[in-house]
Amino acid sequence: MEATRVQPSFLERVMLNMRARPAAWIVIAMTLGFLVIIGIFAGPSQLINTIVTGGMWALMAVGLALVFGVMNIPHFAHGDSFMIGAYVAYFVFTPIQAYLRDNPNPFLSAVGPLIGWIAAALVGFVAGAVMEKLVFYPLRMRTRRGWVMNTFLLTVGISFVLVYGANLILGPNFRGVPNYWNVPPIVIGSVRLTMERIAAFVVAIVAIVAFWIFLSNTRTGRAIRAVAQDEMGAEMVGINLNFIYTLTFALATAMAALAGASLLFMFPAYPTVGLKPLYFAWYVVMLVGLGNVQGAIVGGFIVAVLQTLTQQFFGVSYEDVVPVVVMILVLLLVPNGIFGSEVKGIQEQ
Amino acid sequence: MAALLEVEHINAGYGFLQVLWDVSLKVEKGEFVCLLGANGAGKTTTLRTIAGFLKPTAGDIRFEGQSIAKTPAYQISQMGISFVSESLNLFTNMSVRENLLLGAYRVLDKKKQLQALDFVYSLFPRLKERERQLAGTMSGGERKMLAIARGMMSMPKLLLVDEPSLGLAPQVVVTVFEALQTLRKEGVTILLVEQNVPSTLRITDRGYVMEQGKIVLEGPSKELMNNEHVRVAYMGI
Repeated sequence: MEATRVQPSFLERVMLNMRARPAAWIVIAMTLGFLVIIGIFAGPSQLINTIVTGGMWALMAVGLALVFGVMNIPHFAHGDSFMIGAYVAYFVFTPIQAYLRDNPNPFLSAVGPLIGWIAAALVGFVAGAVMEKLVFYPLRMRTRRGWVMNTFLLTVGISFVLVYGANLILGPNFRGVPNYWNVPPIVIGSVRLTMERIAAFVVAIVAIVAFWIFLSNTRTGRAIRAVAQDEMGAEMVGINLNFIYTLTFALATAMAALAGASLLFMFPAYPTVGLKPLYFAWYVVMLVGLGNVQGAIVGGFIVAVLQTLTQQFFGVSYEDVVPVVVMILVLLLVPNGIFGSEVKGIQEQ
Repeated sequence: MAALLEVEHINAGYGFLQVLWDVSLKVEKGEFVCLLGANGAGKTTTLRTIAGFLKPTAGDIRFEGQSIAKTPAYQISQMGISFVSESLNLFTNMSVRENLLLGAYRVLDKKKQLQALDFVYSLFPRLKERERQLAGTMSGGERKMLAIARGMMSMPKLLLVDEPSLGLAPQVVVTVFEALQTLRKEGVTILLVEQNVPSTLRITDRGYVMEQGKIVLEGPSKELMNNEHVRVAYMGI
């Protein structure tokens, strides 16, 4: 960590961002208002649900925004990173669970799920690095022409390979862990809070905050932002672009895998489990502006609120309709997203 | 003894378009050398090739006796050549201080980083005042200063500066040139590309003149200043 803080704090940046963009103010105010409405009409447990899913969409969307901002890749295999995380958590955690059944051990049963999650994040990191080195690195060495389109097609291809690979090897079965911890839910008034929900929310927040500190206050994090802003400038100061690209992709994949692992109790692992998180992460980044990492954090919660409102007032079957309608409106009215896009060089490529 | 930078008979260009034809030049340690010429003469291409952003198709570039013709740009930067490009390539959404710290990306020693920071702040006190401002919100002159300062943060052995006077008000050009002179007095070796011939020749030791991708003249700046061709073609006398 640097001795000196050279970056305005997160709040300061958010405020600055908002002063420049009144649309963002309105949307955030509306979101908070809707949260209250959800709390009153749908009950506090829905409110908690919304916040938990919000944290998860944010975790997914941050990776997406980062990959787009730094590497200009519209990443349509991001959901499969979620799927990888879910499977890894399942295959690491179930043996632990089986072992615990025969040998009760309070410590292991408390940290067991965490082992699964950390394993998922690590496997995600490695998978991301391999994906980058195997697919995007060779393309980058060949040509940068038509980069966005080519990488878009490649990510779709990767997604097919991963989904059908999982189907081939693991089959289409659902593999879930209904509860990570065998503890009764905490009851406050009419609200039932399961341990899984609390943990999923804490994981999302800790991961996002840690990632934010990494980006704004460390040498490598600063280098990532530098590459996002000016590749040639980054090379001029001695930053190895290839290293930063691989690291960025690996980090984004690790975050998606972590989301998949910690949501295993809600989304059991199966080959196409990543589709829904992928779509919602895309709603988030299109809503806030492509490549905008700070915006993606706030956007995750905005989309979660939209989702809950839709479920509550229109029915679950409209869950996808409303975000898409909102997305179309955003693209029509504020094409750069409500927080503004932060993407370099997309026009010149 | 070999010179700090030796460019030997290089050809370079973009795709099928060859820009440089058999360009050779030398920069000795501690020298302040300029590369002059009109628009499109190949000055910027020469600098980009030395900095590693373009690869020569023929010839060799040696830095401290070591060939860098095939070395990637980021490694050349690590070896001690700082390139201040014409478009500056600043990180516009970051503060001045962050830009400078990124300039010292390869300096791992925190103490040395802060020393470098003090040094560039003493060169450009204006940057210290603007420490927390975003680079993209500064004036053209301040941005040039920031780019030169960022290039100095790694304490390079050779500083390549591309057209620092471009697009600046005459008063600001003077400030930038004074800063370059100060750097030179500090013992920094500089290769400067310029179109502003009279003021450049006044502050440099030696110069090369480029025309249509070839070096046509070279010599001490004082001689070039009195050269008939230079006077007619570049000074309008």
